[in-house]
Amino acid sequence: MTTQGLIAPVTEPLWRIRLRLAWRGLTANWRLFKENPIGLIGLGIILFFALMALAHPVLMATVWETRVYDPIIGYDDQIAVHPAPPSARHPLGTDPLGRDVLSQLLYSTRSEFALGLLAALVSVVVATAVGAMAAYFGGIIDTIFMRIADVVLMLPFIAVLIVLTALLRFELIHLAIVYGVLVGFGGQTIVVKSQALSIKIKPFIEAARVAGGGHWHIIATHMLPNLLPLAFLYMMLTATNAIFAEAVLSYFGLLNIRMSWGIMLNTARVSGYLLAGPDYFHLIIPAGAAISLLCSAFYLVGRAMDEVVNPRLRKR
Amino acid sequence: MADTVLSVQNLTMHYTTRKGDVSAVDDVSFDLEKGQALGLVGESGCGKTSVAISLIRLLPENARILGGHIYLDGTDILALSEPEVLKIRWTGISMVFQGAMNALNPVYRVGDQIVEALQTHFPDKSRAESREIVERLFRVVELDAAMIDRYPHEFSGGMRQRAIIAMALSCDPQVIVADEPTTALDVIVQDGILKELREIQDELDMAMIYISHDIAVIAEVSDRIGVMYAGRMAELSDTVTVFRQPRHPYTYALMSAFPSIKGPKRKLATLPGEPPDLLEPPPGCRFHPRCPRATAECRKVPPAFEDLGGDHFVACYHPIEESNG
Amino acid sequence: MAENAPLVEVQGLRKLFPVESGLFRQTHSFIHAVDGIDLKIQAGRTLGLVGESGCGKTTTGKLLVRLLDPTEGSIYVTDPELGQTVDLAGLKGRQLKAFRRRVQMIFQDPYESLNPRRTVFDTVAEPLVVQDVGTLSEREERVANLLQLVGLSPPSSFLFRFPHELSGGQRQRVAIARALVIEPVFVVCDEPTSMLDVSIRTGVMELMMDLADRFGVSYLYITHDLAVARYMCQEIAVMYLGKIVERAETEELLSNPLHPYTRALISAVPVPDPEYERTAIEIEGGIAAPIDPGEQCRFYDRCPLRTDRCGLEDAPPLVDRGGGHYVACF
Repeated sequence: MTTQGLIAPVTEPLWRIRLRLAWRGLTANWRLFKENPIGLIGLGIILFFALMALAHPVLMATVWETRVYDPIIGYDDQIAVHPAPPSARHPLGTDPLGRDVLSQLLYSTRSEFALGLLAALVSVVVATAVGAMAAYFGGIIDTIFMRIADVVLMLPFIAVLIVLTALLRFELIHLAIVYGVLVGFGGQTIVVKSQALSIKIKPFIEAARVAGGGHWHIIATHMLPNLLPLAFLYMMLTATNAIFAEAVLSYFGLLNIRMSWGIMLNTARVSGYLLAGPDYFHLIIPAGAAISLLCSAFYLVGRAMDEVVNPRLRKR
Repeated sequence: MADTVLSVQNLTMHYTTRKGDVSAVDDVSFDLEKGQALGLVGESGCGKTSVAISLIRLLPENARILGGHIYLDGTDILALSEPEVLKIRWTGISMVFQGAMNALNPVYRVGDQIVEALQTHFPDKSRAESREIVERLFRVVELDAAMIDRYPHEFSGGMRQRAIIAMALSCDPQVIVADEPTTALDVIVQDGILKELREIQDELDMAMIYISHDIAVIAEVSDRIGVMYAGRMAELSDTVTVFRQPRHPYTYALMSAFPSIKGPKRKLATLPGEPPDLLEPPPGCRFHPRCPRATAECRKVPPAFEDLGGDHFVACYHPIEESNG
Repeated sequence: MAENAPLVEVQGLRKLFPVESGLFRQTHSFIHAVDGIDLKIQAGRTLGLVGESGCGKTTTGKLLVRLLDPTEGSIYVTDPELGQTVDLAGLKGRQLKAFRRRVQMIFQDPYESLNPRRTVFDTVAEPLVVQDVGTLSEREERVANLLQLVGLSPPSSFLFRFPHELSGGQRQRVAIARALVIEPVFVVCDEPTSMLDVSIRTGVMELMMDLADRFGVSYLYITHDLAVARYMCQEIAVMYLGKIVERAETEELLSNPLHPYTRALISAVPVPDPEYERTAIEIEGGIAAPIDPGEQCRFYDRCPLRTDRCGLEDAPPLVDRGGGHYVACF
C-alpha cells in the first residue's frame, strides 16, 4: 500500500493544536460548571479567601506595624487588657496573647490553602496510580493494594492522626503528605479502581492492545486521561477534609505549627476563653467561620464539578 | 370502509433539551383498521419510537405533544386527562417495548406481574379469575404454564419476550404497539416470535403497529407500511406497493439498501450524508439534503402528505413515477 | 511459497474458559467456547464467520488477534513480506508485538471502540506510535491520506475532532482507518456494521470491500446477519456451540445448505420481499452454554434429522463433500 503525499497534512505544529484543543475543552467545562449556582458560590468563597491570603503581606508591608500586628509575635501594648474586643484599631479584636485576630486569620489562610491543595494532590496521585494499577493488573497486585486499602479504611482516621502527630511532631507539610497518602489509599483508591475497571473492558483498550500497546502505554495513554476527571473531583473533597483535619489536630495542640485557624481556637481553649460568653466570641467565631466556609467552598466546588465530570447528572 | 380502530392525525411532538427543542414527530398521520398490521419503518431518530410512546401517552418529562389527534375508537386520547388515560392504557392500546427483556421486574414472579396488571385494570375480577386468564395467555404465546411461577431470570430471552407479549395481551386491547420486539434476539428465536405475533393477530383479529428498522421483518409482518424519516412520514401504503412501487426517493433508496439472502446478488444503494439533526431540521422537505431529486421548491416548504391514488400517501414534490407492469 | 498457500490457516483452535463453582471457587468445568476449529483464508479474500449468540464467533475473532490466548491449536499466518509462516498462537513478547503489524481488528461498537478523550489523529496514529513507525510528519501524512481514503474528507477538518463530534458511521470509518494505517494483511471484523443505521451501513460495507480490493487485505467478517455475510464474503463458515458445522463458497452455501443447522438458520432469516413465502424449519429448544459438552455432535438434541448414530458416536468431522463444501454431519 503506497500513500501519495497529495494532502497537505497538519499545517501547524502539533503542540499548538493540542494546546488549542485543551483550551477549548477547558472553556466548555467552564460553561457547564457555570450553570450550577452552587459551584459559583463555592468558587466565589475560595476567591474571597485567596484575596485574604494575598491581602496579608500587603497589609503587613503598608498599614500594619510589624511590632503590633505580627500574627505570631505581635503585641499591642497600647491596650491594657488582652483579649480585647473588636475596635477600630483591631477590627476583630486581639487574642489572649495580645495578637491581632484579623492578622492571624489572614496569615493562616495561606497555609490552609497550601495544606488543602497539597493533601489533595498527594491523595489524587496515590489513588490514581494505585487504583489504575490494581484494576489493570489484577491478580496479586490488586489483592495487595486492596488489602492495604482495607487496613487504611478500618483505622479510625482522626485517632491515627492524633497518634502520629503526638509521636512525630508534624508540621503542615508532613500532615499534608500523610493525610494525602492515607486518604488516597483509603476510599478513593477503591472508587478510582472501579472506574478504571469499567474503562479496562472498553473496546478501545482492546484496540490499543491489538495495535501492539504494552501495559504502560495503555495505562498512561488511555486509562489515566479517563480517570483524571474523577480524580479532580476527589481533589476538592480531600481538600475539604484535610483543612478540617488540621483544624481538629491543631485544636488539640498536636501539630508543630505556629499559626493556623485551629491554633487560634487552641489558644482560645487553653486560655480558658472557649465558653466564656459573648464578649469573647471574637476569639472563636472568625476562625471557626473561616474553617467552615473554606471547607464548604471546596465541597460545593466539588459538587458542581460532579455534574461536569459525570454527564448523567446533568439536567437534560 | 372497514373498521378504523385507530386514527392518528397531524401528530406533532418535540423534546425539550438543554440545547433546544428537538422536533421528533412532525405532522404524522395514519389510520389503522381492525385486524390490520401496520409497520412503521425508519432509521434511528426518525421518530417511530416517539410516535409509539405518544400513542400510549407514556411520555418522558421533557416531551411535549404540540398538536394533532389520536382517535382510538372515536375518542381523542390526547384530549383525555391523566386518570382517564390510565384506563385506556393496556385495555385500549398496549405496548411491547423495545428492550422488553428488562421490562420485567426481577424480584417478582412473572405470573404475578401479569396478574397485577390485570387487577389494576379489572379490580372486580378475583385473583383466581386473573390467574386463569394468565394461564390462557401463556398457552397463546406458547409458554409452558409451569413458568407462570418462575422469576424472569429463569426465562431465556425469547421466553421473556413471549411473556411481555402475554402481558400486552392481558387486558384485551384493541391495538398492540410492538416497538422492535425482536431486535436483540437471535434469528431463529426471532422467527418463532414473529410467527407467534402473526398467529395471535389472526386469532384475535387484533390491530397491530409493528415498529422496526429491519425492513425484512416489516415486510413479513405488515399489511401496510409507513416509512418515516426525520420525524415525518415519507410514504404510507400497503406492503407490496411500498416494496415494488416506492414513490418517495427515501423509500426507494431504503428498499435498495438492504441485502437479502435470496434472489440475485445486486449492488446495494448507498445514501450519501446522514440523517439530519432534529434540533435544527432542514427547512422544507427534511430529506432534501440527501435527495437526488431535490429542487428549490423542496428546500422551502415541506411537501403535503397526499394520497396519490389507492390509499398510497407520499410527501414529495417529485415522487418517482409509477411504472406499469 | 506455494501460490495457493492460505494467508491464514487455523488448525485445531480451542479456547476453554473455566467455570468457577463451589465454595472455594474451584474449577470443575470448562466452557468450550471454541472447540477445535479449522479455517483457511486466502490472501485478498473475505471469509464470513456466521452464527447466533454464544456460538463462539467473537471468541474466535479475539483469538486470531491474540486478544485471548488459545488453550490449544495453531494459527499460521504467512507474512508475504518476509515470506515466512509463523504460528501466531505461540508468539510472545517482542515477536508478538512485531506480528501485530500484520493482523488487526475492527470492533462492533463505534461508540466504545474510540477513546473519547483522544482526537481522531491520535486514535488513528496509535498503531504507528506504538509500533514506532515513521516520524511525526510521516505519521501525519499517512493518517491524513487514510482519512481521505475512508471518506472523511477533507482530512484536515477531521484530524482533530473528538469522537463525540462524529456520527456513528464516521466513527466506524475512523476505526477502519486505524485498523489499516499499519498496513496489515489480515483484519478481523467483529460485526462492524450491526450498530449502524441501514443507509450508513451500506456505505461502510462498500468502503471495506473497496479497501480490501485496493490493498489486498483479507478479512474475517464475523456477523450474525446472513444477508450481510452474503454481500461481503466470498466464503462463509457457520459456527454452532464452538464448532464449525459447515463451510463453503457463499452462493453454494446459501443455495445448497447441507447441515441441518445451516438449513434451519437460513430458513429463519426474514426476506425483504413481501411476496416471498418463507417456510422456516422448526427446531426445538434454545442455545445453552457449552459447558463440558460430551463428545457427540453438538446439535444432537435439537436436530430434526438426528439418528441414533449421532447420539452415540463422536462428533462428525468437517469433511469435504465436493468442491470445497465442508460439512460436519453424518
